[in-house]
Amino acid sequence: MSLHTWRAAVALGASFALGLAMVGSGSGSGANDQHKRGGTLKLISAGDVDSVDPGKTYYSMGWQILTAVHRPLYSIPADSTKTLPDLAASLPRISADGKTVTVRIRPGIRFGPPVNREVTSADVKYAIERSFSVSVTNGYVGLYFSDLVGYPAKPPKTPKPVSGITTPDKYTIVFRLKQAGTTLASALVMTNTAPVPKEYASKYDQKSASDYAFHQAATGPYMFEADGSGNIKGKGYTPGRRMRLVRNPSWSARTDFRPAYVDVVEVRQGFTDTTVGVRQILNGVADAASDYAQIPAATLKQVVTTPKYRDNWYAWANGIAYLGLNTRKKPFDNVNVRRAVNYVVDKNAMRLVVGGPLTGPIATHILGPEFKSKGFEAAGGLGFDPFKSANFAGDVAKAKAEMRKAGYANGLYDGPAITMYTFNASPSPQAAKVAAASLAKIGFNVKVKIASPDAMFTKFCVVERFLPEICTLGWLPDFKDPVTMMDPLFSGKSLNPNYTTNMTGLNDPAVNTAIQKTKLIKDPDARYAAWAQIDKMITRLAPIVPTQWTETVTVISDRIVPGKQLWNAGLVDPAFTSIK
Amino acid sequence: MEAGLGGPAARRSRFARIDSPFVGYIVRRIAWSALLLVIVSFLTFLIFYVLPASDPAILRAGRNASPDLIEEVRASLGLDQPFYEQFRIYAGNVVTDFDLGYSYYSEVPVREEIVSRLPASISVALGAFILWMAIALPVGILTALKPRSKTDRVVTGATLFFLSAPTYWLGLVALFLFARDIGRFPLIGGSGTYVPFSDDPKGWAESLFWPWIVLALAFAGLYARMIGENLREAMEQDYVRTAKAKGLGMRRIVLRHGLRAALTPVVTLAALDLGLLLGGTILVETVFNIPGVGRYAVESIQTGDLPAIQGVVLFGALFIVLAVLVADILYAVLDPRVRY
Repeated sequence: MSLHTWRAAVALGASFALGLAMVGSGSGSGANDQHKRGGTLKLISAGDVDSVDPGKTYYSMGWQILTAVHRPLYSIPADSTKTLPDLAASLPRISADGKTVTVRIRPGIRFGPPVNREVTSADVKYAIERSFSVSVTNGYVGLYFSDLVGYPAKPPKTPKPVSGITTPDKYTIVFRLKQAGTTLASALVMTNTAPVPKEYASKYDQKSASDYAFHQAATGPYMFEADGSGNIKGKGYTPGRRMRLVRNPSWSARTDFRPAYVDVVEVRQGFTDTTVGVRQILNGVADAASDYAQIPAATLKQVVTTPKYRDNWYAWANGIAYLGLNTRKKPFDNVNVRRAVNYVVDKNAMRLVVGGPLTGPIATHILGPEFKSKGFEAAGGLGFDPFKSANFAGDVAKAKAEMRKAGYANGLYDGPAITMYTFNASPSPQAAKVAAASLAKIGFNVKVKIASPDAMFTKFCVVERFLPEICTLGWLPDFKDPVTMMDPLFSGKSLNPNYTTNMTGLNDPAVNTAIQKTKLIKDPDARYAAWAQIDKMITRLAPIVPTQWTETVTVISDRIVPGKQLWNAGLVDPAFTSIK
Repeated sequence: MEAGLGGPAARRSRFARIDSPFVGYIVRRIAWSALLLVIVSFLTFLIFYVLPASDPAILRAGRNASPDLIEEVRASLGLDQPFYEQFRIYAGNVVTDFDLGYSYYSEVPVREEIVSRLPASISVALGAFILWMAIALPVGILTALKPRSKTDRVVTGATLFFLSAPTYWLGLVALFLFARDIGRFPLIGGSGTYVPFSDDPKGWAESLFWPWIVLALAFAGLYARMIGENLREAMEQDYVRTAKAKGLGMRRIVLRHGLRAALTPVVTLAALDLGLLLGGTILVETVFNIPGVGRYAVESIQTGDLPAIQGVVLFGALFIVLAVLVADILYAVLDPRVRY
């Protein structure tokens, strides 16, 4: 959701044929194929991960680290967008009626210390079941796993068996669904499918807040450094301060596609001044940052325009930035007013204050270049722009015409001031001010208020009674299927007065029906064509002003040959990166 | 003269007797301090309850969580209870077990987190304090004894400069100019280099060199001015003239008679400043990425992590209260005229 933190993954099924295009880069960061083994990868970050529990983590940094420690059923290797079986031995088998998904897991994969035993399908079943409980509190399972037969209507306090997940033998796991669909199969890349040993973890999971995270058993090439009892707190993980991954002695390279070049991965946290952090990376004191999604424009410019740094950065496209318009509140309950705003916003100026073209192309609809595919293109999904203006600078005349249609005789808004919330970190406030200036051209007096991402995503832009007229937001896909954008952001079923991801409050029956129908389509081309049509439907209803398909610039040191998590905003992949 | 004004002999007897006014004063101050801590705690609780920056239940449940899950989490954290009940439980846990609760964000006990971060904050605060007093005392004496001299003017100018320069900016300048890792003229230290004293005393000192300097510069000029002014005033008092008439040396007059009186108001300010810094040197810890209580405070406020904020505020208030108490006791030592 937040471009600062929201994680993205690429999924199965429809995503297999898709490819992402590298859109900007220093020239040679990945050119060196001579990977050496050994050494320490030194990462830095401003903040901490949301959780180190594989059943809970949902942010980019959590996924960056935990995919080197745990093996979900399916994963995407670095520098690729293709999903591969990871803990699974093969692709999922989906029954003819689409209601049963069967996965075989690889034999011979073992838990690291202190568990030290072979992983079985029961460990995957328990891992998923525990993620449904209050003690673990996973935010996304309701979106992607609720079609499972036996999915709890009310979250249990501690893990309880789910009838729709069975394990006929120690290497097979079967998911039974209430209705046919591919969403669950796609979501098997999520880290909550990484195995958890019940006999070891249940004592931690029985607490009101599970602390299995601090005692976790690894299956990936690395593990958090731990004491003899498996406790990682203060050793491999000190919240808010540091992480240290060491090799997992139980891991076998024969069973994994991860090369795991480095011996140790260190993450030092608290580098909140991104200019200092970037300087440390360029000087080789650190190798890369884990959560520098937004580098100040001046620093960014300095890095990308200095010839000697041409190999020290790359950019990767992921997600969308937009202005969410609250369709349940005046004046944006009127579609013509929303269209007027879409016409008038100077998207070019907004992009310039966040760093210019390097930070991504200007968005003219919802689904961006990362969804490029045969079906999507055939349906005219790319290039759709119903609110054209010269150089994306806004068209005041057309905006005023829409305002007149909305009943504002002179084409200017004459109502009370409206509020816009935006993130408190540069360059978001500057971009919001540009947007406010654009809206002023058709009479709006916009009060820009800034808040921390946590405040915006737990209060001001998710709880109905606090919702302002406008929120400046961003959204990254959780996996490579438009469902992960369209369903949470624009479906009426996402609406709830106490918490909603559908900030705009859009609840259009035609859109709702189309989303539900499209979720059931299995053919990739037909599915993407249908998503393209929904994209057009929603864009014309104008609940948002798409401003940019964002690209994240990653700065790296001269010391490393990076593996890039293309499914995760291009973050450096600890399990694929080597030291020169 | 000293005995007549309540000198060493009189002070010893005051400390020794339980029913002395001094002991009564200390007991009263401790009681008031405890009450103050309760009020501070209550007000913090109230502010974050009435005007929460974020919803702790959603924070804990994670983004995209279903409303059902959020409500279950709210109940499990006791956030569905009335305000007074939540405060009663919190205050009860603090008083009986000194249990400050768990961070909503990291799920780590707040007490454990603060205690583990205290050595870093204490290292920064004490080191800077010693440094700024070591600068301020001699410079203050010098300016008092040679008013309008070049030294006096330089100190005045420097004081103005360092008082006007924001600590955060000074820290960044120090890093970009002199930090060993990113500085233009690499000398020592850097951002995120802190190591505990027990692990590596040399590394500890190196990592804190610039934080100490930056913090000390911000305070030293002010203290030098204050000491200088007070000393100048004290040197014009009758008892100093008497001491001069008795033929005492200048060194003895300044150190034994002038400075002692001049330091009394400085002690109060120093105690308050030190107490404040012990509760977390927010800007310095942030710019130099030192894992102290100050940085924890910033992170907690950003995430709306109420138990962590409560804990940090309580610890900060505790340090200030203790510092003021110590200052009051020192008053008696430094200024024999003080009565209780």
